[in-house]
Amino acid sequence: MKSISLRKIIAIASTFVLTAGLVATAQSSAQADAGLQPTANQLADWKGKEITYYFYNDSQAELDTTKSQIAAFEKLTGAKVKLDVIPFTSLDQQLQARIAAGNAPDVARLNNPGFYYNSALNLETFFGKKYVNDFVKGSTYQVTDPSTKKLVGVPYDLSMNGPFINVDQFKKAGVPVPTSWNWTDLIAAAKKVQAANGTEYAFAMDKSGHRMSTVMSQFGAYMVDRAGRNVLSSSRFRATKALKTITDLYKADQAPRDLWIGTGTKYSSPVSIFVAQQTPVFFSGNWNLATLARDAKFNFQVVPNPKELNGGGWPGGKFLMAFKTSKTPDLAAYFLYYLADANQMEEMCKKAFWIPTRNDLVSKGITYPTRSADMEIYLKDTAATPAAAYGIQTVPTVIAPIYNKLRDLMTEVMAGKITAQQAIDQQIAFINTQLATIKK
Amino acid sequence: MMVSPSNVTKRRRSTFTWRRRLVPYVFIAPNLFIFLTFIIWPALRGIYISFFDSMDGSQFTYVGTANYKAIFNDPTVATIARNTAIYVVFYMLISTLLSLTFAIIINQQKFARGFFRSIVFLPVMLSPIVVGLIWNDVLDRKVGPLNTLLEAIGGGSPGWLVEPKLGMISAIFVGVWVHLGFYTIILLAGLQGIDSSIFEAATMDGATRWQITRRITLPLLKPTTLIIVILSTIHGFQSFDFIYTLTGGGPLGATTLIVQYIYERAFQSPIQYGLGSAAGVILFLIIFAFTALNFLVGKRREAI
Repeated sequence: MKSISLRKIIAIASTFVLTAGLVATAQSSAQADAGLQPTANQLADWKGKEITYYFYNDSQAELDTTKSQIAAFEKLTGAKVKLDVIPFTSLDQQLQARIAAGNAPDVARLNNPGFYYNSALNLETFFGKKYVNDFVKGSTYQVTDPSTKKLVGVPYDLSMNGPFINVDQFKKAGVPVPTSWNWTDLIAAAKKVQAANGTEYAFAMDKSGHRMSTVMSQFGAYMVDRAGRNVLSSSRFRATKALKTITDLYKADQAPRDLWIGTGTKYSSPVSIFVAQQTPVFFSGNWNLATLARDAKFNFQVVPNPKELNGGGWPGGKFLMAFKTSKTPDLAAYFLYYLADANQMEEMCKKAFWIPTRNDLVSKGITYPTRSADMEIYLKDTAATPAAAYGIQTVPTVIAPIYNKLRDLMTEVMAGKITAQQAIDQQIAFINTQLATIKK
Repeated sequence: MMVSPSNVTKRRRSTFTWRRRLVPYVFIAPNLFIFLTFIIWPALRGIYISFFDSMDGSQFTYVGTANYKAIFNDPTVATIARNTAIYVVFYMLISTLLSLTFAIIINQQKFARGFFRSIVFLPVMLSPIVVGLIWNDVLDRKVGPLNTLLEAIGGGSPGWLVEPKLGMISAIFVGVWVHLGFYTIILLAGLQGIDSSIFEAATMDGATRWQITRRITLPLLKPTTLIIVILSTIHGFQSFDFIYTLTGGGPLGATTLIVQYIYERAFQSPIQYGLGSAAGVILFLIIFAFTALNFLVGKRREAI
């Protein structure tokens, strides 16, 4: 009994010392360019230890860069990182199952951090309260535990929605590449290019409520404000107009209606339709850039988001979290810190066309080696995105159902089952029920 | 002290009997272990979890029967129950009738019976996910081979996966296509178990092929047919994987069945393990009730 207690005491003490070391070095290294460096004691302790990184990627470039960063991390710490690559579509399903089975990874790249607050490590214990200030304000809402107000993860990249166009097809149709436009211009141009090139569709958008929120924001309609209130009713008519603008294209078969209606509750992206040159305009986001740069056999480019009442796009992002069940929490936390530090994030941004979440990188600016003009447009759209667009991020646990309901209601409008107005009214009622679950 | 030979024989006999009794259990022990660990324990755990609420699988809050109440108050459940009922009834009826027909035809086949049996059985060996993907391509409204063919003969281009009614028809068709071979093989085995002298006698008495089928084959196949009805009912209720890749539960939720409801509650955002488990328990009770009913009806008919 005594020896167990002693072991426990030693374990607690060493964890405390290591944690204190990390906090101390984090605070003292605030000025250092190299970022937080592990101490000699930590290096000795971490040598030969293994942690698991649960990861999904949108492009091959992300995976390749992650592998090279892991190799550098292993060299730096002497620890081993096992990379578990998971498809995006089963990301939450598999992670939930692993947590439930007591087999959580040490660190994970996530899309819906709100589901994991109870399982996540409090990063302030390791890196201090000021660590949150390293990141762009607003980007940390989704990784701040609403009950404890502690930082339980970090924003890993910001994503920005917006349109891609097939430049070759625009040229052939004699339609100039837009530098600024509204939705009427976009649709007119898309239809003209479709007619000139004989493409199957004029426009295609990811099957996603998140993407639709971009259009709604441009028309001045929002679902949840920063105080976590349902504000869709106050912009009901603008939201209806936005919804009708998109669903009319699908109803008229000028957008891939079958892809949207025929896939039920599954996510589907028309990226392959754009790559096959069957639509001149593809409305998605910056995460497609690396894949399109590799696969598209034609000239394409990112163009600014259409501006109605508002310009800009709609923010999204991915996050990193470390888990409480880690056998080496300090190593897991440090790995997370390492991936999100300025050097690694800058490398990832350059190679995988990410938008940084760190204040230092935002102020310094990123020079993208290729497709810098495209990234410039995303960065301008990020700056032009209204603050109201971040409101929904204050209710992280109900974001997914709210977006999914919007997607499903759009399907009903496209199929002619309900009107756009009815869809928005139903969405208002649904948001109320979702927000009520948080208040409970 | 001397031990009498009769005592030794008795002891040996008793050891032998004890061993004979034990051996079967030793043989089934590995399977039993797997069955208890991977079927019974998760099922019991599922029933237990159905009374709790959990979003992460690590923290559970006791909610009593709230999950069951939530399911019955969910307005989408009525539509899903209706979809499931339509799917199960048509799937079971078509599967049973077609497999019976196929089994009788193949059984009467003198030439290349093995070949036809293999052809019918082939879809059973495909992964359901692959089946869904293949038929998704075949039934595509714009570029699918089926509609290309239909258009060529002036049949238009129906939205097999886009129109709700056609979506359900497509799902039933693919479901039947997947499992038909399995049921046919079971019925074929049943057919081959019937004494051929009964058929010979009927033929000698001047019975036609239809009369033989109606008066001899079908009545003697009743026990096997009952198994097919039970199995197809269970499969119908459990259908999910190929439907999910075929239609995703669409169009407009027309092919969303109860298992997809369970899957989406348990594994998709927002994750609700308790609700998913409660729906699983309800599905178990429904299948159990139908199976018992089928069995009892079958038994009663047999008795009559």
